[in-house]
Amino acid sequence: MTTRSLASSRPVSVNLLGVVEHPVLGDGPYRIDQDGHPYLPVGDGGIVLGLQLGDSVFGRRADHAAPGACLVHPDPASRHALAIYSCIGNQVKVRTGHAAGARGVVIGKRGEEGRVIAAFRPGELAAMRPSDEVSVRASGQGCRPAGFPPDLTVLNIDPGLFDVLPTVRPSASGDGPVSVGVRCSVPSKLVGNGLGRPAVSWDLDLQLPPPEPASGSGDILLGDFVAVTDIDARFNVGYRQGWLTVGIVVHGSSPLPGHGPGITPILTGPARVLDIRQEAASHVGLTAPMLKLQ
Amino acid sequence: MKISSNADRLVSQVLTGEVWPALADSRAYRVGPDGQPFALPGMGGVTLGVHCGDPATGYASDHLEPGASVRHRDPAANMALQFLTCVGNPVRVETGPAAGAAGHVIGQHAYVLADFPESVLAGLTTGDAVTITACGQGLALSEHDAIVVKNCAPGLLERMPGGTRPDGRLEVRVAARVPAEAIGAGVGMSSEYANTDLMGAYAGLGDDLSLGLEGIRIGDIVALADADHRYGRAYRDGYLTIGVICTGQCMLFGHGPGPSSLLSGPADAFHLVDDPAANLSRWYHEELETAQ
Repeated sequence: MTTRSLASSRPVSVNLLGVVEHPVLGDGPYRIDQDGHPYLPVGDGGIVLGLQLGDSVFGRRADHAAPGACLVHPDPASRHALAIYSCIGNQVKVRTGHAAGARGVVIGKRGEEGRVIAAFRPGELAAMRPSDEVSVRASGQGCRPAGFPPDLTVLNIDPGLFDVLPTVRPSASGDGPVSVGVRCSVPSKLVGNGLGRPAVSWDLDLQLPPPEPASGSGDILLGDFVAVTDIDARFNVGYRQGWLTVGIVVHGSSPLPGHGPGITPILTGPARVLDIRQEAASHVGLTAPMLKLQ
Repeated sequence: MKISSNADRLVSQVLTGEVWPALADSRAYRVGPDGQPFALPGMGGVTLGVHCGDPATGYASDHLEPGASVRHRDPAANMALQFLTCVGNPVRVETGPAAGAAGHVIGQHAYVLADFPESVLAGLTTGDAVTITACGQGLALSEHDAIVVKNCAPGLLERMPGGTRPDGRLEVRVAARVPAEAIGAGVGMSSEYANTDLMGAYAGLGDDLSLGLEGIRIGDIVALADADHRYGRAYRDGYLTIGVICTGQCMLFGHGPGPSSLLSGPADAFHLVDDPAANLSRWYHEELETAQ
């Protein structure tokens, strides 16, 4: 298996160029929601202000809104490379425009054409504009932190990030299951867009309704860890009984049928190598203070 | 199907396309469920030897598209072709040795999929022009307001058994019932474009990949549990979608044989009858072939 053969390999970092995306729409302004109502997609890509890690995925009237700036590249193949090689926790630096010099961190990515989501301090994000150039120090694909069992595949995450994530705890023996705290666990049948696509570049949308206070169902926050049962995300994403995939919530909900809050997968393997702790309201996922972006 | 509809209010539109080539890139390989590299035919061009009524799985193939795979050369015209063409619409070959031959649409898969008798397919190849008389989008059932019809020629609806029951529900015969866990690539896309790949139909691979769907056939009418395809393809508890299997064997993980969507609405608006013979080949395809 690829991940095993690379277990002792040293990572390399590559500097990639991301360009802050401008939102795009087709000739018609509307998309159609699940009940057949037209809506204007707001917040789908580009720079989204006023949204941060820790905010509810259901808190805005928006479509796939992500907390920060989406980075792309004008050349499609370069754009795919940017999305595939960038990992959550990678450092980014703005090189042009009013926010030149500002530091940010990759907090997720999205599929299809490929988008990297980078978070910045709110004041610096507000100074940015589409077409600003951002350098991404990409590292992580193919890396494995020490103490992870061989059958647990790690993807899309900067290995250094595990040091600041209290929710991920390798076993003391080094080959036992990794303990991961999550906001909730979701059955595979609720996975929407992203199924059948490569997990190194696509996120997985979860078809989850907003919480109903009366039913006691919980909220989900940007940056939360969420587990999905019976999903194997080593290569393309698909159904495999008895497997688990853990991802970080990287964008908010969507009215589009088959879409919803999205997770970028970071851990996948047979259930025996992951000990999932459902932490519900006490869960703390990826936060701005952990990334020194408060 | 014994049912009243607005079929007499629909218009037909004459569309053109051409048999579109199979596509690949310089890396050749794609990746299977266990990381197996593969390079297998089946998508695009003309795929021979598999027709409605034949097993959907069990071939050395990926994204198997029975018959001819059709697109239009102009991108916007192609989207019109993909969105407006419905299952059951007639297809006529215009150029090449098979010119004049008639077939019909069995589904969509980012190509319009047109099945012809094997003898016609043998003379058909990439670049041959076809004419499709598109009719069906906008079809509505007068006594079933909650059910939305998609991609379904009025003629197909007429030939399907079932119909409005005394209790007001729509009776539909289905060859297989598909659990929500099987829904793979294609979820989140428009109901009028491509289809829904079903996972759990990897014949010959691990038990942990199986959802018991290896026996489905091309042309089978299937019921998708908890699927709302009225305005896009989504999970929705208590909804149901009826589709027709138009693509077969896949090795690409998260993909599989897939139905084009035909009818979608609340599950309690339907009365399903299990019928292994619920297949396009019984109601539609065979009759067309006989008429050749």
